[in-house]
This record gives sequence, C-alpha cells and structure tokens, in this order.
Amino acid sequence: MIVGSKSPETNGIADEIVVITHEDVDRAHDRVRVSAARAQRGFLPRARLLWLLVGPGVLVMLGENDGPSMLSYAATGAKFGIGFFIPFVVLTFCMAIVVQEMTVRLGAATHRGHAELIFDRFGPFWGWFSMIDLAIGNFLTLITEFIAIRAGLGFFGVPPWMAILIALVILYAALMSHRYWTWERITLAAAAFNLVFIPVALMRHPNWHAVSHALVTWQPLPGFDKDTLLIVLADIGATVTPWMLFFQQSATVDKGLTTKDIRFGRIDTVLGAALATAAAVATILATAPLFAHQMSADNFQAAEFAQALQPIIGRIGASLFALGMVEAGIVASITISTSSAYAFGEVTHKPHSLNLPMGQGKSFYSVLTLCAAAAAAIVLVPGLPLVYVVLVVNVVAVLAMPPALVFLFMLVNDREIMGDLVSPVWANVLSTTVVFILTAAGVLFGISVIAPNIFAALGGK
Amino acid sequence: MKKDETTIPNSNADESWVLSSLEHDQLVRAKKHHIARRQLQGSELVVLWALRIYLLFMMAVVGYQVWTAAH
Repeated sequence: MIVGSKSPETNGIADEIVVITHEDVDRAHDRVRVSAARAQRGFLPRARLLWLLVGPGVLVMLGENDGPSMLSYAATGAKFGIGFFIPFVVLTFCMAIVVQEMTVRLGAATHRGHAELIFDRFGPFWGWFSMIDLAIGNFLTLITEFIAIRAGLGFFGVPPWMAILIALVILYAALMSHRYWTWERITLAAAAFNLVFIPVALMRHPNWHAVSHALVTWQPLPGFDKDTLLIVLADIGATVTPWMLFFQQSATVDKGLTTKDIRFGRIDTVLGAALATAAAVATILATAPLFAHQMSADNFQAAEFAQALQPIIGRIGASLFALGMVEAGIVASITISTSSAYAFGEVTHKPHSLNLPMGQGKSFYSVLTLCAAAAAAIVLVPGLPLVYVVLVVNVVAVLAMPPALVFLFMLVNDREIMGDLVSPVWANVLSTTVVFILTAAGVLFGISVIAPNIFAALGGK
Repeated sequence: MKKDETTIPNSNADESWVLSSLEHDQLVRAKKHHIARRQLQGSELVVLWALRIYLLFMMAVVGYQVWTAAH
C-alpha cells in the first residue's frame, strides 16, 4: 500500500510517502498485542507480556543445544564423568548470556540485522569476510545437525534417507505459516523437547553429592592433554558460535522488539540459557555411567550412546536419549538455516522476514531450504567420518568466534547507532574477557596440534 | 508499487494503526536506507587484521589436524 500520509503517527516522516508492506502489517499485529499487554497492570498481564516477548533468546540457546553440542556433552560425560566439566558448562552458558544480550540491544535499538549492520558500518570488505565465516560455519554445522538426526532416528531403525526426508519436511512445515509469530511458537514447542535429557539423567539416579561437589570445587580435574583440550573447545563451541549472533539479532528485528522490550529480551536470553544449561548438564550426567564402566566412547555417534546407555537406563530412557538427539538436530537445522537466510537477505537487500508470503520472499525461503537440503544430501554420502566431523565443527565455531565478537563489540559501543544503549563498562570488561578466553582456547588448541610434545610434558604423559 | 509490496485496502484507518504500532525505523521502507559508514581507526584495523590472520592460521591448523587424523 502506498499512502501519502501527513499524520503525526508517522514519527517525523510526514512528508515522505509511506509504503506499508505485508511484513509491516504482520509485525504491527504483534506489536498491538504487546502494547495491549503492557498497558495493563498485574501479574497475569505481565506474564502475558513475557509470553509475547520471549522467543529469540530461548530459541537461540536451545537451538545451540544442537546435534554436535549434545554429542559433545555426551562425550564429555562418557570420557570424564562428573567433575570439572559440570561447572565449566555452566560458565560457558554465562559467556553466551553476555554475548547474546548485546545482540538484543543492537537489534532493538537499530531494527537492523547483524550482517546488515556490519556491511553498512564497516563496508563490504569486512562485511564479506564475516559473511564467508558465517556461511562456511553454518553449512558445516548444518551437516552435523543432519548427522545427529540420521543417527538418532537410526536407533529406531529408520533408514538414513527417510530420516533426512522427515527432517526436511518438518523444517519446511515450520515455514508454511509465513508468519514469524507462528514459526516461532512451532519452533519453541519443538525446542522444549530438548529438556527430555533431564528425565533421561534422572533415570540413572545421579550422585547428587558428587554433582554439588563438582559445582563448588570444579573437582576432579581432567588430565591436561590434547583430548581434554578438544573436549574443552567442543564444549565452548557448543554454547557460543557465530550463527547465534546473527540469528538472535535478526530474530529480534523480525519479531519487532523495540528499546522498551530490552528488559524482556534479557529475561528471554537468561531463561533460554538456564533451560539449555539444564539440558546440557543432564546429558553429561546421563552418559557419566559410561565413564564409571570404563567404556570407550571415542567413536560413539548419537545412536551408539543410546545403545550403550540402554542396559543402564532401559529401553525407554535410551529411546528418549535418541529422540533428544533428533530434536536437537531438527531445531538447530531450522534456526541455523534461518540465520543464513536472514544474513543473505540483509546483505543483498532482498526481502528477509518470516512474515513474508512465499511469493514475496522467494529468495529468503529458497536460501533457507537450499542450505538445509544441500547439507542433508552430504550426510547421505557413505563413509563420511561423522563423529570426527562433529567435533571439528565445534572447534571451528570457537575459532571463528573472536573475529565475530569484535564486530559485535564495536557495533554495540557505537554511540551513533546505539545512542545511550551502548554497553556499560562492566559489559565491555565481560565481553573482552570472553574474547580473550576464546582466543586463548584457540591458541592452546593450535599448540596442541603443532607441538603435541609440549602438552604431553605439561600433562605428565 | 513494487512487486514485494502487498495490496492492502487503502484507507486512512488501515494506514494509521500500522504506523502507530511500529516505530518509523521498523517499517520495511525505512530499512532500505543505509546506515552511514564509519571510518575505522588504526587500532581497530590492527585488531581486525590480527584476528583475520589468526583465523586463517587456525583454519590451516584444523586442516593439518584433519589430514594427520585421516592418515
């Protein structure tokens, strides 16, 4: 609709011709409901407001509890049992909160996606670098999501081609509403299934005294060697990755959050992190008996973890574990392919919103489905070293994170676009610490590969 | 009207509730305007280049690790 408007509601653009698109109308519908809930007082309207505004934070955190992440946590529990890695995983999610909160502020303050802001503020040279990082990282990660789906459904005897087809159908079905709100609720419902790892952990009756002791003392410590470092990096890569920055900022924009909603955006992010931490720790606890039984899990895939756990937690528990892996892969394949499509639309200035009807968002939906389909097809290649691919992908995610974080850090401290919402000093100290931790972890990994003797000497091996 | 814009009943009532519900910067039309580019300072360029080299080097390390594992 093209409207020649001179009404005061146009916020200072009264003399411009205002074009209202289908996407604007859908977003306005969502904002009207938020405004109505905000206008009321009392517990129920507050709860409704929270219900309306949660989404991107929970999705990004539970989405990051993806196939390779859950596999990393499972490998952590099987190799190291209950100890250092329980509080370590909690710490990595705290890092994720620090990082992701910045994307909420950026999205709400600028109403622009992350890729778009990098291109606009730093130019196409640096913009394409970050896009290449994102595209490669997302594609590799998508492959691992389908590995998890294939392996998880393989536990139930589903052939690989059918497992992949089921995943693609679910991904496509979530898009069919052509409405951000509906897509978000469907994906949230699917993501809630990530919590299935909690009952699985409870079925094996964990030693809560050992868990609380580990949380307080970080003991027992693992040996200091290359394998430990690989797991450390894989667990960090399981919680903070570049696609999360792009996804949450773009989803915040697509959802229509404004500066008034930042507090709820923070609650959304912390809530998501809390749920994801619970699922991650539960997965470590679930596979810890494999460590106690001295079972080598070096080459385990999702289905093999489930099979190995079956004598300990029974058929139902093992089935839930396998289904959890499938869910992790499906939800992440939805969110990661969506982040690719958002970024593509932002840098090419093509329409990019989940509120777009198929006809108007052809390029957006095409990128989304093609990314997923291409990654899915690779998983069907026979002889692919799936477990190794999964661990390497998480390591690559950690290595790509410092450059992505520096762009985020510069944008969120850019007073011209952020105004008074620039990061406070304490947030800058925390985010700089995260960058140093990630870079140091990457450097240590590099040393362990290039000069493994140094690690052997330090680890006493 | 461009192809990506939907035909919606053109009345003042339709217009006003959408415009009053969204901030100006949230409108699709407003997003077509680019945000001005900023000049990167010398120290910022040093950090960005250092991290770019770090990333390329580490990717080579990952490649080496994959190669050694495969052999």
